[in-house]
Amino acid sequence: MSEKSKLTAAVCALALVAAGLVFATRGAQAQQTDRAKQIGKRLMCMCGCKQILTACNHVGCQVSGAMLKELDQRVARGDADDLILQSFVQEYGTEVIAEPPTKGFDGIAWFLPSIALVGGLAIVIVVILRWARRPVPASTGPKVPDELLARARAQADRETED
Amino acid sequence: MDLFGSFALILAFICALYAIGGGIGAILTRKPLLIKSARHAGMAVCVLIFLATGSLIYLFFTDNFSVAYVVAHSNRDLSTLYKVSALWAGQEGSLLFWSFLLSIYVFSVLVTYRGKHPELMPYVGVILAGVQLFFLTLNNFVASPFRVLGTMGAGGVWQVFTRADGNGLTPLLQYPEMVIHPPNLYLGYTGFTIPFAFALAALLGRYPGEKWIHLTRKWTMIAWCFQTMGILLGAHWAYAVLGWGGYWAWDPVENASLMPWLTGTAFLHSVMMQEKRGMMKVWNVWLVFCTFMLCILGTLLTRSGIVSSVHAFAQSSIGAWFVGFLAVILLVCLISFLKNRDYLRSENQLDSMISRESSFLFNNLILLVACIAILSGTLFPVFSEWVEGTKISVGAPFFNRVNIPVGLLLLFLTGVGPLLAWRRTSLESLRRNFAWPLAAGLLAGAIAFPLGCRDFFSLMCLMLSVFVVLTIGQEFYRGARVIRARTNCDFLSALVQLTLRNTRRYGGYVVHFGIVMIFVGIAGAAFNQDKQAEMTIGSTMDIGRYHLVLQSMDSKPERNYTSERMIFEVMRDSRPMMMLYPERRFFQSNEQSGTMVAIYSTLREDLYVVYAGRSPDTNVPVIHAYLNPLVKWIWFGGLVVVMGTLLALVPNRQPVLVLKTADQPVPVKGAAQAVPAPISSYERKK
Repeated sequence: MSEKSKLTAAVCALALVAAGLVFATRGAQAQQTDRAKQIGKRLMCMCGCKQILTACNHVGCQVSGAMLKELDQRVARGDADDLILQSFVQEYGTEVIAEPPTKGFDGIAWFLPSIALVGGLAIVIVVILRWARRPVPASTGPKVPDELLARARAQADRETED
Repeated sequence: MDLFGSFALILAFICALYAIGGGIGAILTRKPLLIKSARHAGMAVCVLIFLATGSLIYLFFTDNFSVAYVVAHSNRDLSTLYKVSALWAGQEGSLLFWSFLLSIYVFSVLVTYRGKHPELMPYVGVILAGVQLFFLTLNNFVASPFRVLGTMGAGGVWQVFTRADGNGLTPLLQYPEMVIHPPNLYLGYTGFTIPFAFALAALLGRYPGEKWIHLTRKWTMIAWCFQTMGILLGAHWAYAVLGWGGYWAWDPVENASLMPWLTGTAFLHSVMMQEKRGMMKVWNVWLVFCTFMLCILGTLLTRSGIVSSVHAFAQSSIGAWFVGFLAVILLVCLISFLKNRDYLRSENQLDSMISRESSFLFNNLILLVACIAILSGTLFPVFSEWVEGTKISVGAPFFNRVNIPVGLLLLFLTGVGPLLAWRRTSLESLRRNFAWPLAAGLLAGAIAFPLGCRDFFSLMCLMLSVFVVLTIGQEFYRGARVIRARTNCDFLSALVQLTLRNTRRYGGYVVHFGIVMIFVGIAGAAFNQDKQAEMTIGSTMDIGRYHLVLQSMDSKPERNYTSERMIFEVMRDSRPMMMLYPERRFFQSNEQSGTMVAIYSTLREDLYVVYAGRSPDTNVPVIHAYLNPLVKWIWFGGLVVVMGTLLALVPNRQPVLVLKTADQPVPVKGAAQAVPAPISSYERKK
């Protein structure tokens, strides 16, 4: 390989590395922003607006601005999600997390709908079974002849089907 | 005029007391004169409340700034339209407005059923007057809207003083939808008082059969329709005014409006079981009771400060009154039920697990689970603070996670339920009715997945929506085809005939179609995008297919506010599309500001641009742009739901022919024994 070719190859390699670095950094930034958004959706803004951190739209809201800045910094530092959330809890209290904890007394909030669904389902099935087993009340009217019943069924079929 | 209003309210209170006393007397003695007198007292209550409300509106129109409520919620520059909406802008006025809307219903009921149902109406009158009495107590003694400003002068003489101008209306309420959203929602809340009164009256009076259900069906549907409109208008207002890019934040006040809607929807479905099969009587009665109690609970949440919300009125002691009222209602309902529960015994049995009846049971279960999930999520922070002493938040992520699967189950049942037969459904019928819609749903999923619809719940929603729409379409198509074959008319006429023959059934299908559209719109939220940037003139922003160029900005003073406007040129796929003008308004009277969002809305997506104000650091305008797919489907869906409900309220054009049961054997000439009535004998039902 000639000197010129070596130089060209070196320049190309450097250009590739540089391009790779630029794209890699861009990718990392995009990921950070997305990650920060995702974590921001799990936090409440503490300005009193009762909105999700990323949805607080008060102009010049000092609280959400500072919180978002802190979140961005922690994401840029590469902190784990749980660690970031924990640090916000330490700073603002448990109220900062948008969802109730899954453990302890607060875990009931998560279980209640499931209990209602499972319990309700059980009740509905029991009710259906009980109704199905209930004896048919004896007919007080005269028995409808089979032929008449067949005619009624045929007529109903004709009128409800094509 | 303030004295006139106060006097009218006091008189209304006295008349309500008489309506209750006279009504109880009428129930005990059955004297026609007493029944009539109690009814007239009930009507007088309504008229007096109308007069009181009219006098408060008059005080707003005449800028009477000696009345505290007018001072707090109006000013001279406020436009006429918003002077009307100022009526319900605060605690006192909104409570009077509640009484007013309730009076419209009560007056209509008392006039419609005058001289009819003598065993039932005295009970209904007493219950309605009881509810009115509670609100009149608040209007008169707890939160009077006619309180005048003044001080105790020398010699103990009250000296009235008049302010030069008022504080003005909250900017958030100065939006056209705010003129129609609260009345709609309140008409929903108050409207559920009517089925509640009839259900309780039927239970107390042991009124026979399903009469109360027939009598209240229309009232329930009207209330439900208003509640639906109220909820959707509120969502649209939140979307267009609050400027956070969404329409539903699971705020406690929003949840409060959704809960009675869910139980009301469950009731509208389960009454069919009682009407057709004489089943679920206990369930229906309690569904109505719960719906009414949830309406009162919603009012309690809005006004008491128990849960914090951006929508709620200021914290006040009024919550204790609502808690007391709720306790009384619960006690009355419980005692009435325990005393008369034998009257609610079911008349029929269930034949099969796969039947229309069981689908109604499951539909009710899912609606109730959604209601419980919302109720528990809304109140849980309060319980948690009581038990653990720490504050927690239950925000949108919790409600979304819990309610999205529940909503999808409901969507599934929306498609399945109407196609199942009463009593029992055969496997053959299942195959015939569901094979094609199911296959089409799966096909839609198979097409959407490679096209990028990867969010699980959105994909499920799409598949189920296709399934439900096809089941509904199939019902219309089959019915219309039979009519076309029998009458030789064209398909469209057959479709119209079919619908008008059974408006309730086909109106219900239209409502289901609207609900599907709303679900599709909600599913679009999974693909929302947003961008925020500080922008100067000439700077650009790209979002999705759109390219925004900030061309200029202007500021102009209006009568009641000063507006600062950003002027954007919007290009789509490099072609100029339109101009958008997001703005902020500064209201001098109360020194508050409000957002006016600029939205370019298509069926595919909404381009939603907010001028969020100037950055405190750089003083440069901050622009927040959102791309929200399919949002328009929600508003169109709401419109379809309302149209479907109105259609279901229209009486059937042609009578529905129902096989008549033979009470007595019909003697036939020449026959050895009596045979039942011939099958061609029909009972005509409207």
